[in-house]
Amino acid sequence: MPLLPGLLLLPVLLRLSLDLHSGGLNLVLQFWQAALQPSLNPLLLRSLLNAVSTTLLMAVLSWLISTGAGFILGLLCSRRVAALFGGSGWMSTWLRHLLAPFRAIHELVWGLLFLQLFGLNGWVAVLAISLPYSALMARVLADQIDNRSSSAVQALKSGGATAASTLFTAVLPETAGGLLSHSGHRLDCAVRSAVLLGVFGLGGIGTDLALSLQSLRFHEVWSGLWVLAMLMFVLDRLRRRPQLLAVVAVLSLASATSQLDLSFPQVTSPLLNMSGEQLLGALQETPWAELIGGTLLVTVAAATIAVGLPPLMLLLTLQRRSLRQLLWALMRLIPVPLTALLLLFVFQPSPVLAAVALGLHHSGVMGRVMEDDLDECSSLQAEALLQLGAGQRSAVLYGRLGPISRPYLAYGLVRLDVILRDTAVVGMVGGAGLGWQLIDALGSFHWALVLLLLLAYAALTISGEVVSGWMQTTWGCKAVEA
Amino acid sequence: MPVLELLQAGLAGRLQPINLRISNGDRIVLLGRSGAGKSSLISLCNGALQPDQGRLLWQGQPFLQRSRRQRCELGTLWQDLRLVEELTAIQNIQAGALGRHDLLWAVRNLLGLLDPAPCMQAVNAVGLEPDLLNKPVLNLSGGQRQRVALARLLHQMPQLVLADEPLSALDPVLADDVLATLLQAPACLISLHRPELMHRFNRVLGLRQGKLVLNKHPDAVTESDLKWLYSES
Repeated sequence: MPLLPGLLLLPVLLRLSLDLHSGGLNLVLQFWQAALQPSLNPLLLRSLLNAVSTTLLMAVLSWLISTGAGFILGLLCSRRVAALFGGSGWMSTWLRHLLAPFRAIHELVWGLLFLQLFGLNGWVAVLAISLPYSALMARVLADQIDNRSSSAVQALKSGGATAASTLFTAVLPETAGGLLSHSGHRLDCAVRSAVLLGVFGLGGIGTDLALSLQSLRFHEVWSGLWVLAMLMFVLDRLRRRPQLLAVVAVLSLASATSQLDLSFPQVTSPLLNMSGEQLLGALQETPWAELIGGTLLVTVAAATIAVGLPPLMLLLTLQRRSLRQLLWALMRLIPVPLTALLLLFVFQPSPVLAAVALGLHHSGVMGRVMEDDLDECSSLQAEALLQLGAGQRSAVLYGRLGPISRPYLAYGLVRLDVILRDTAVVGMVGGAGLGWQLIDALGSFHWALVLLLLLAYAALTISGEVVSGWMQTTWGCKAVEA
Repeated sequence: MPVLELLQAGLAGRLQPINLRISNGDRIVLLGRSGAGKSSLISLCNGALQPDQGRLLWQGQPFLQRSRRQRCELGTLWQDLRLVEELTAIQNIQAGALGRHDLLWAVRNLLGLLDPAPCMQAVNAVGLEPDLLNKPVLNLSGGQRQRVALARLLHQMPQLVLADEPLSALDPVLADDVLATLLQAPACLISLHRPELMHRFNRVLGLRQGKLVLNKHPDAVTESDLKWLYSES
């Protein structure tokens, strides 16, 4: 089953071969050669360290805000918490629905929107990340609380404990482990989002990477990528030590005001001055079916690449686990727009190219999930098949990939939602879909269209969540948000 | 005045209307076949289930209007223990006193900042080894968890103890300890599957197909009473 999506790679490769222009092959070769020879110019390194600290500040600040806000909103969204305090739960359900559009829209879209509204300000990136992350954190916390049994709660309540004391003694400790793990993961995501926003001009190391790549200074690009890789490595280690992570967060906060312009931004609100006529005009002039169809096409193609590539790589590189891990780390490390720009050196812009850029980035995430699943799964079945005389690849296919296929595909379905949001990022490469139209509308200050496109994105993502939830239930393989 | 009083209280399809008075000094054992309604009666008495008919009184007042102080006077040893698995044994035992304290106290317990001395009497009474106190309940054996639940109940210091099959899955020595501890409460209602233990109580209730059919002193219970209680038809 996990190999089936890989079949899509055939038509994708065929289509890409038609779009190939060999002029850029040399550039791509130079890019990869530069990986081993990054620039060590002290001036550049100092500038990169400065940029990476700005990115870290944006990420930590937005992480702290979204964790705090997400925690409070998560409690308010939980039906079980509402029941604990004697409520009926309808308010929690409505609040959950109300938050859905905030998490459905990509942080890049929020970032570009706030940039137009507030101008270049430190809060733009912080708010752009905090807004969807708070809503996401709230959903994860509410789901974790609501999916647990309530036996200890009843025991404490019947013993005279107040609702608040029961919440702190039974409900929160039950969910604390999952919450801490998810919160650590969100810091990782916040750094990636801060880098991505930087690529689109909001400062930090993303801006440096984009400028270096656009001027074809690949040695400098790789200096930035290696610095970023080191930061991600350190954060990954810190995730297992919450005390150290807290120290980093406090230090980042302390230096935030000096590194970032956190003055209160001037608010202009063209969205509020919009007339119904403008909205109707935007609704009529836009080819919605084509845009939504293009977005869905890119999403499905990217998801199948992301899900199909890791199992294929596993079968091709059976014993070379470290090579695969390096590959997945690289895929995750390079932001999607940079992957897209690299691909543009060799291929014509098209929706397929956008799907490949997205698919490659997310295959890095799926690859890591697959390796983790394989580590947790027993190898006894594969060994038994080898004893029966099966070949190495057949044994891995049946004995290793078989048992993990359900949770792996379930996580692939969760990834589908994320990829749908990410189509906004590669919209300009594909020249099609809602993402492209949205970035175009933002650039031309067409606020009526921006509002409609945001609504369309939110509706699509929420529909995607419902469909993927239904499919997970139908297939009996509920994925855990990682 | 009775501590707990059931006045024609029943649960549709599970328990026929029952009149029952439990006073200080009552040691009541609840007997009956599986499915006879023992767990339903316990759940009715501790408020986990609301009666479809009739009334419950706590110290003469309507059961649902109990104050917070009165709520902690009724303690239950649940069949599935209902411990907070992620907390340590001592945090779970301290949680028995939540009814007497405020939210700040609950947070301090969560952070492990409370003095364990007040609950050591309960810990010693159930024979829980001190080195287990700081282990998460998740890592304890079945017998150890049972002792933690019992210690939490003792630390609650209830006036009436309800227990649903507290001895099932326990070895004979531990079962004897647990029963002895439960019987020290001012009043108790305990459902058991072991009629041979009824002489340690001062009242026997028998349920059959959701109906209270036996309410006697243990010495008055005959072999034929028990045979009928446990017979199929």
